[in-house]
Amino acid sequence: MKQHLKQFGLAIMTFIALSSCVNLKHVNEFSSTSLQSIKSFEELNYSFKQNCIDQCIRNNIHDLKINSESCDCKLDKVTDSITLKIYGSINGYFDGLAKLSDNDLTSYKTENLETALTEGDFGSITIEKKHVESYSKVSKILIRAFTDSYRKSKIKGYVKEANEPVKELIGFLDFNISANLNGKLDVKKTRIKADYFDLLKDNSLSTVEKRNSVREYYSEINEIDNQQKKLETYSKSLNKISKGHQKLYDNIDKLSVKEIKQALFQYASEIKSIISEFKKIEE
Amino acid sequence: MAKLTSKQVNEIANNFLALAQSIGEYRYKNFDSLTKTQNKILRESHKRTLDYSDDLYTLSATLVMNDIKNSLTKLESITKKIKKSYKSLEDVQKAINIATSVVTLGASIFSLNPQAIIDSLGNLKDAIED
Repeated sequence: MKQHLKQFGLAIMTFIALSSCVNLKHVNEFSSTSLQSIKSFEELNYSFKQNCIDQCIRNNIHDLKINSESCDCKLDKVTDSITLKIYGSINGYFDGLAKLSDNDLTSYKTENLETALTEGDFGSITIEKKHVESYSKVSKILIRAFTDSYRKSKIKGYVKEANEPVKELIGFLDFNISANLNGKLDVKKTRIKADYFDLLKDNSLSTVEKRNSVREYYSEINEIDNQQKKLETYSKSLNKISKGHQKLYDNIDKLSVKEIKQALFQYASEIKSIISEFKKIEE
Repeated sequence: MAKLTSKQVNEIANNFLALAQSIGEYRYKNFDSLTKTQNKILRESHKRTLDYSDDLYTLSATLVMNDIKNSLTKLESITKKIKKSYKSLEDVQKAINIATSVVTLGASIFSLNPQAIIDSLGNLKDAIED
């Protein structure tokens, strides 16, 4: 009778362990795809300082000056450092979330211990190899269940705490890129148009020179349009990440529900599409 | 008087840009009917308005710092905690402690005693959280 009770207790423990096993693959997929997308910031290859230098060089060309040391871009440098700081903070958070939700993090190897147990003497208990192997399987399930529950509860707490600040920071990173840096590119386009308009109205230039100027104008505008497309696509990915994080936050207490898993995989897939879109602009 | 926020400054920059574009378009459209001086004045106003807009976009981006200070501090502190959590799960020394707990857990499973298993899991929890 006692033996049966023990076995029943063990069966219950195993059942609890199995039922508490949490697969965080969907959380990991969302956070690691978000991380990959956020990192596209480093491929924007444009900054406030770069914009300032470009404008300064344009002025020097216009005024026929070669003294580029006169470029004062201190404030733009400060702006870049603020934007970089926001980027670094968001990047660090998603990097941590991706690592913590990675199922491989808690895939502990117990083979060496199994060998040690088989070969060694464990108190008054005589251990047979076949028993070690089968009980080791149960141990692995229990460890996995325990560490996964630990990770799940930690992630729950962090996502709840981080939702508001991460959304605000994503919003401001987007603001600096798609509202301010993009605005500066609009200013640049307007300046270029004015410069080339005056060139075309200059009677001292030949028709060939004017045609070459028109070619240069379109080439410069095309380059800026391309840069703006990159900023726009990056902004789209930031919005998607922010919405995905909100979804994760709204459903953090029911992470195992099928619909939530599907929704997070869907966000990850949409973010991946935006990453491909971004790479195509680069090509 | 309340200071302008980054978003308000961005709005002003947008308005200056729109104004500059209107000045530019007016000059392009009426270039032939304008005198040389009028053209020069409009060209200068166009340039000056664009400079204002350009500088205001930069100013707006720097003012962002006032809006994000709290969020930045909060998120950085959360990230530190996350790092601590996963470090505690992957740390080699911790893994050794966990492995030791595994041995105890194995023994408790052999004993078929649910209480012993619960105790061993408790030890494992301590090993991870240490």
